[in-house]
Amino acid sequence: MSPQTSLQQKTIQRYRQFFPEDTLREISSRTGIQITRVFRLMNGKNMKVGELEAFERAVTVKTAENPNFAHMSTVIESASAVLTNEELGKIADYVQRKVANRTFGRMYIRSTYQDMSIA
Amino acid sequence: MKGLSSLERNILECLGRQSLSYEIIQHQTGLHENVCFNLLQALIIRGIITSEGGRYKVSESISPLMMEEINGLEARQLESLELMEAVVEQKSNRIFRLQKVAMDPRDEKIFLAMLSNLDSFLQDAHKKSQTSVPLKERKVVFWGVGEVNSLMNQIVTGR
Repeated sequence: MSPQTSLQQKTIQRYRQFFPEDTLREISSRTGIQITRVFRLMNGKNMKVGELEAFERAVTVKTAENPNFAHMSTVIESASAVLTNEELGKIADYVQRKVANRTFGRMYIRSTYQDMSIA
Repeated sequence: MKGLSSLERNILECLGRQSLSYEIIQHQTGLHENVCFNLLQALIIRGIITSEGGRYKVSESISPLMMEEINGLEARQLESLELMEAVVEQKSNRIFRLQKVAMDPRDEKIFLAMLSNLDSFLQDAHKKSQTSVPLKERKVVFWGVGEVNSLMNQIVTGR
């Protein structure tokens, strides 16, 4: 697997976490990428940098809807400097549980489940 | 994820030693169809339950390592916190009380004896109604006690 493919998969997976039920048409409209091109990208065709940015932009727009996301990022920065490894582990476990419980309420998402079963 | 989420535990408690259909599990747990299905799939992927002929049961070959992961102290602590948080944040019919109480040694002994009585009562109540009351209608009850000084130290040091 080339590093580009890995980054591409991560980006698509992250996008899918935010928009799990988006159709190709909706992805196209959200990213500004042509629908036929979206189909190819979803089937593993290599992304151009601009396309990767378009997917990331869509996620950034979504996260901006939650001002607490920025707050959490700042707090995590402080936590990593102050808390012990054990305490960080507890926080990570806590957040991971929240995410997993919420994910159970969503439709079956293959990649997310695979990650969960490995973790 | 370490251990089980309280949702997954619900499914396992519902199954117990039986082999049940999806419909019965969903009815007993009261989980939304989609959530129930996703939980069953996740538990199958982790090898904790198996499915045969449309019926689900707890796997008989769970490794000791997986058992420790499911029932280990750390996993159970996280699960307890999950349920306690849900009780504290409950929107309706909320019963939760936390107090700092001054107790002399005599009252403390009485209090601990009352807790022991409460524990016996709950165990008897559960034994009496466990076959008639479905999982979704059972009550989550918890209690605990600690000394302010040691709790504060624990909060400050993180240990």
